[in-house]
Amino acid sequence: MGQEIKKSLDLHGVVCPLNFVKTKLALETLNAGDWLEVILDEGDAMLNVPRSLKEEGHRIVKVTSLGNTYSVVVEKGP
Amino acid sequence: MAQSDLDLAALKKVGMIQQKQKDYFALRLHAVGGDFTAEQLRKIAEVAEKYGKGQIHVSTRQGMEIHFVHYTHLENARLELEQAGIAMGACGPRVRIVVACPGESTCRWGIIDTKKIAKRLDQAYFRQDTPHKFKMGVTGCPHNCAKATENDLGVMGGILPAWKRESCIGCDLCVSSCPVGAISRVDGEYRLDESKCIYCSICTSNCPTDAWYPRKKGYIVWIGGTMGKIPRLGTQLKKLIENEDELFKTIDKVIRYYQTHGRKRERFGHMIERIGEEKVKEDLLNGAGD
Repeated sequence: MGQEIKKSLDLHGVVCPLNFVKTKLALETLNAGDWLEVILDEGDAMLNVPRSLKEEGHRIVKVTSLGNTYSVVVEKGP
Repeated sequence: MAQSDLDLAALKKVGMIQQKQKDYFALRLHAVGGDFTAEQLRKIAEVAEKYGKGQIHVSTRQGMEIHFVHYTHLENARLELEQAGIAMGACGPRVRIVVACPGESTCRWGIIDTKKIAKRLDQAYFRQDTPHKFKMGVTGCPHNCAKATENDLGVMGGILPAWKRESCIGCDLCVSSCPVGAISRVDGEYRLDESKCIYCSICTSNCPTDAWYPRKKGYIVWIGGTMGKIPRLGTQLKKLIENEDELFKTIDKVIRYYQTHGRKRERFGHMIERIGEEKVKEDLLNGAGD
């Protein structure tokens, strides 16, 4: 866990599925293996976005609670 | 035939319900898990136009009702529906049509084949006499979209997760996304508090490396749920029954128990309150069940 975060995106207050779409668009600007950090709301966002990312072949590497939001670091899939 | 010759109780039994406009009836149709073919829907529409006022009502149990059928047309309407493979529903003190979500057939959360279970329940119990109405619901997972816990008998799919150290990257997503806080991290190891776990599969579905995996998959049985005048959520009778035949053995016991011990017009859940939850559970799980 020493990789640098290439991009950060605050999706606090952004509803499903727009939060996932924005995450996906941000990932498209990165290279495979790069790390993106997204800030997601607790609840629905945390239920849906990580799972959708997994289904698209990306990988969550770290989740940190920030109160009522979470910092989610995702590694872009191949 | 005069209106006074009608046997209203017999009609109710087959889902023909007298409206407050006394010459007219609602035709409640049979359904399982709210599934109809386009062809069936066309037939229902045709009958509604021919014998009713073209008015169809969607019931809370995923069924259809054709309203405003004049009593002189009841038999013809029924015959025409039955010839097209659409059976009549049920009303009164008996087992009603079975509600189900689509389950694993289309839903990404679905853990069990809800349609198969619903069909088997329907074939075994539909229209059987019970002390009061008896409703069954089958839901694919603990998201509980088909509201298994609001039915007299509910079947719910579930998984028991387990964690394997060698695949884990320690991202903490499981801790953050478990809806009931059943997962914690202690000394670098993830632990599941099984007494809190609701078997929902969110951890196993989300886990980026499948370090959380389904160790057990099965059916959870809920009894005595009801809405209505005196609402009561279902009591969990048994969790994660892995075998379909064992599930049906349990259900059989439940229904026979209600048929034996329920008082007239007493819903199953209220019977459980009267007898005592612990006693009922003991009888159903360990007793002869009658």
